[in-house]
Amino acid sequence: MNDDQLNKLFATARQAPPDTGRAEFAFETRLLARLRAERTAAAPWFVWAWRLAPLFAAIVLALGVWNMTGTSDPLADLCANGSDDIALVEMLTGE
Amino acid sequence: MSVQNGEPPDECLIQSTLAGDDEAFAALVARHKRRIFGIAARFTRSEAELDDLCQEIFIKAYRHLGKFRGEAPFEHWLSRVGVRTCYDHLRKTRHDRDAVALDDVTLPGADNVEPRRAREVLDFALAKLSPEERLVITLLELEEWTVRKIAGLTGWSESNVKVRAFRARQSLKRILEVHHER
Repeated sequence: MNDDQLNKLFATARQAPPDTGRAEFAFETRLLARLRAERTAAAPWFVWAWRLAPLFAAIVLALGVWNMTGTSDPLADLCANGSDDIALVEMLTGE
Repeated sequence: MSVQNGEPPDECLIQSTLAGDDEAFAALVARHKRRIFGIAARFTRSEAELDDLCQEIFIKAYRHLGKFRGEAPFEHWLSRVGVRTCYDHLRKTRHDRDAVALDDVTLPGADNVEPRRAREVLDFALAKLSPEERLVITLLELEEWTVRKIAGLTGWSESNVKVRAFRARQSLKRILEVHHER
């Protein structure tokens, strides 16, 4: 094969540029989806800590409320303390 | 790229993208994707491979967008990212390409060879070149870029590009001759 033949082959091939129309369709959508997915996957632990902060705050609040309501019955505590003492005496005396 | 039909210029879209506006980047991609697909399609064999390669190019561009200084048009900067990513892709997939086969090759020098067939014959022969030779000869002969432009986009010297183009032509002639003799 000589240079002329090769040039002719190139010239003929240039007449049929690759058809990329189908591949281009909705390309931006796919690209942005991939970018967002990579961004989420690469999110460091402190980003998640910030995202979960409201949940943590709600848990702390709930615990506080539960604690307040749990100790608001003085009679229950008194009984609890009384039964503790009885159990201790029984254990020490071997009854 | 300047303002066209009331659309914001590339520089505005770049600034918005850097500020976190994904839609601005989508607009930038929509504006330049045809050019990038045109380049990348020369180095891929299927639509899926083309899609992956183009995504890689634009993701690279997105990640390095902050380095764009605006000294040259954005299109040139993006083309450079595209060409370099295509070169990396050729190097990574080099061994896969050795298996490319072509049945019933029409005489490459024949006058009546169809454009699509000519491209298939060339794709077959180009797959047997080194990544450097393939990149240079494709951009020079199929995309009809100048030696200076190729040198600017690849980072190789102009004489280096010329030497690689010459070697690529010699290799192509040899490959096509051998295949035609069979």
